[in-house]
Amino acid sequence: MSAQATSGAVSIRDALYETPGPKTRVKIRIGTAVSAVAVAMLLAFVVHQFWATGQLDPRYWMFFTQMSTWSYLFAGLRGTLAVALTAGAIALVLGLALMLGRTSGIRPLAALCRVVTDFFRGVPSLLLIYFFFLVVPQYGIKMSSFWMITLPVALAASGVLAEVFRAGVNAVPRGQTEAALALGMRPFRVKLKIVLPQAIRYVIPSLISQLVVVVKDTTVAYVVSYPDMLQNARVLITNYDALVSTYLVVAVIYILLNYAINQLSVYVARRSGTRVVSRYSTNPA
Amino acid sequence: MSEQTPIIELRHVDKHFGELHVLKDVSLSVGKGEVVVVIGPSGSGKSTLCRAINRLETIDSGEIIIEGQPLPEEGRELAAMRAELGMVFQSFNLFAHMSILQNVTIGPTEVLGLPKAEAEERAMELLERVGVASQAHKVPAQLSGGQQQRVAIARSLAMRPKAMLFDEPTSALDPEMINEVLDVMVDLARRGMTMIVVTHEMNFARRVADRVVFMADGAIVEEGAPDEFFDHPTTQRARDFLDSIKGH
Repeated sequence: MSAQATSGAVSIRDALYETPGPKTRVKIRIGTAVSAVAVAMLLAFVVHQFWATGQLDPRYWMFFTQMSTWSYLFAGLRGTLAVALTAGAIALVLGLALMLGRTSGIRPLAALCRVVTDFFRGVPSLLLIYFFFLVVPQYGIKMSSFWMITLPVALAASGVLAEVFRAGVNAVPRGQTEAALALGMRPFRVKLKIVLPQAIRYVIPSLISQLVVVVKDTTVAYVVSYPDMLQNARVLITNYDALVSTYLVVAVIYILLNYAINQLSVYVARRSGTRVVSRYSTNPA
Repeated sequence: MSEQTPIIELRHVDKHFGELHVLKDVSLSVGKGEVVVVIGPSGSGKSTLCRAINRLETIDSGEIIIEGQPLPEEGRELAAMRAELGMVFQSFNLFAHMSILQNVTIGPTEVLGLPKAEAEERAMELLERVGVASQAHKVPAQLSGGQQQRVAIARSLAMRPKAMLFDEPTSALDPEMINEVLDVMVDLARRGMTMIVVTHEMNFARRVADRVVFMADGAIVEEGAPDEFFDHPTTQRARDFLDSIKGH
């Protein structure tokens, strides 16, 4: 969890668990040893099965020594990143707009935004992709495969982001709004200048984490034959007849990518959290 | 007391929070330059009264009149009226994402349309006056409670308000910081600011108030000059209250 990063003095872990006593420490040690053995056995079993079924045979792995394999995979990665970043950017703007509409206090607009938010949040992204792939073209609207994957992924994410933003807005203390109103600021300006900047600071880690979900959603690109990393991996699999090894390599790349995104959110949380933390650490002269 | 139109006038104001009758037929008139201190046990409706005056709380019935004009219910007119009434909160409510200086300039630049340079000049003057000019470029979280509350007062003053509302301005402060805030308020009163102050600081009330208003159970029970009220309260309710806070 990235939440640890936001608190300086008290970590989430300290807040949730009390310091273990001597008996608990023994239990923890036994538990650790048992699970380590279990994991080691599982790994050994996996490797053994790989070997027994011939998956470790060089012919399944040798093509990874060729540049062309990697450049093909990385072309796919570029596609994945292009879709993920574009979809993320659209979702950010749309999610913000949906949240603003929902909290606008204008009844019909709020109701509409609420329905739209819940719809995009509730519908599986694959269904949205089918909609753009199969339904939209029937109305004569021509879209490239890039947009056929990017738009549905963006829409699905916008519903979630709208809720993330709303949580952020709700986390800003009511007194901030009251103080601004008392100065004579109009409600919309209060939201824009006082509430939103603080709300966004609260939710930046969640926003970045949501990018991981977007990256994973892009893997459905094969439906529209957009060359993302997984789609290219499938081509490799057909060419070299090497299913397990290719999927393994691709999985590792996805994990590394998402790990990097998570690290980014931890870093950003730390940076934007410094102001909050300083409340505890710096005492005024 | 004066023949002029009162700056703030409440006529037969009533308010409920669900079943709870929090303001019962409250009438109050505050003249120009007058300092009215509102005291009473917690839950007596003092804060609600204070917040109703700039419509942070709505009222069920009655009238609130600011300089002869009924308090607008919404929109531009309400915002304009709020701009003329300063408000200081118990929990300071400084804008957490802005520097101290920005906290004091945002009102004038956003609401009054003052150029930034002019607003900053005005802000620095006020920060100087409340004694926190050296902290101008810090963020609120870096200041002590007393400093934050003084900045909050400066933020209100930057709007050049006609009157100031103080909603328990020292109740969230550590004891050693209460006086630095009260000093600023005493200074403000001396300069002729019209003030309504909800507080538990009886010494402040005695020293500064032109009039003390005692509230209990949502109604104004007694009001009068501070010496009169503190030394010779006429109602049993007020006597009980004064006894309960004295006996240490």
